[in-house]
Amino acid sequence: MEISIINGSPKPGHSTSGYIIDLIVPRISEGNILEIYNISRGNLQEGQFVKIQNCDVLVLAFPLYVDSIPSHMLRFMAELEERGFASKNTMVYCIINNGFFEGKQNRIATMQVKNWCKRTGLVWGQAIGAGAGEMIPMLKDIPMGHGPNKSIFNVLECFSANIMGKKAGEDIYFSPDWPRWLWKIQASFCVWYPRARANKLTKRDLYAAGK
Amino acid sequence: MNLIVHDLENLTFNKIFNFNDRENYIISDNGSIKSCTGCFGCWIKTPGTCVIKDGYENTGRLFSKADNVLIFSRCYYGGYSPFVKNVLDRSISYLLPFFKIKNNETHHKQRYKNKTRLYVYFYGEQVTQDEMETARNLVRANGINFNVAEYKVVFTDTAEQAGREVAAQWK
Repeated sequence: MEISIINGSPKPGHSTSGYIIDLIVPRISEGNILEIYNISRGNLQEGQFVKIQNCDVLVLAFPLYVDSIPSHMLRFMAELEERGFASKNTMVYCIINNGFFEGKQNRIATMQVKNWCKRTGLVWGQAIGAGAGEMIPMLKDIPMGHGPNKSIFNVLECFSANIMGKKAGEDIYFSPDWPRWLWKIQASFCVWYPRARANKLTKRDLYAAGK
Repeated sequence: MNLIVHDLENLTFNKIFNFNDRENYIISDNGSIKSCTGCFGCWIKTPGTCVIKDGYENTGRLFSKADNVLIFSRCYYGGYSPFVKNVLDRSISYLLPFFKIKNNETHHKQRYKNKTRLYVYFYGEQVTQDEMETARNLVRANGINFNVAEYKVVFTDTAEQAGREVAAQWK
């Protein structure tokens, strides 16, 4: 099968979407031709569009912005709809991550992608929606299937098996196996405050009104 | 103040809606808007203001001044058009990076004390029932995250029909 994977993160470097793609690639590589397209690097070339339009499986990976598909991804999807696909049997899978703790907050973006599938005439496969997206790459040194990486391991195994079999599956929403109250505190003390300090800002400065 | 975000050509918008400039602040597409890059600069570098200087960096602050936010958008797959979504993506400085729990879900804390009202007019022919359901869910979620006092979602076939819907109330 020819599998096109779209990395819809706007970040040119490390991103949660890219990290999850890296986890999935070895699970779906055998016997398949994989192409990964990073749309943050500017417009795709004509030849790249042609490959996507002719793929057997399309995987869309992106972060959730303001409860839905981010605008740059939306533009890209609208362009794909306009260009059309060679086969109506292309199966669409989706990997969404959000900054809140609950993976289920990705459900509206999933609905949007399903609506896009109907507009483009493609076949819906499955969505996985991860909560606490910023935290997921921070757990890279913990073995998959253990501790906070237990759920993501199970989800990726199931998702990858469905892609390999070109089968549809139930949408799955999950979060790291970690207490929400602790994640909430860590977000402030391990992420926002240190990043503010690195920019020579105090905690109080973060509450300022916009200029 | 009413904050109006729309994706129409300015000439078309003015012809249909006739909002005056004194009580309304209008955000439209001048072709220069850049996508949010997910850098969080509006939270941890220049709090409350986006770091991308393209004329759309103050959207979060504008939300804080608005009694009502009116959105006119073509419906794309049960959501906003790319331009309108771009404006909303660039407005997260309206909120703080910190989290609170509301209805057993995490959401961002408010930066400002105001409570705006959100009215969304989706236009477009052949919007499906599934897309309408998605759009209603989306605006409700936006309402929770932006902590609005109330929200309303309206669907019309054309922008002109949306114009007639709002003329009496918002002119």
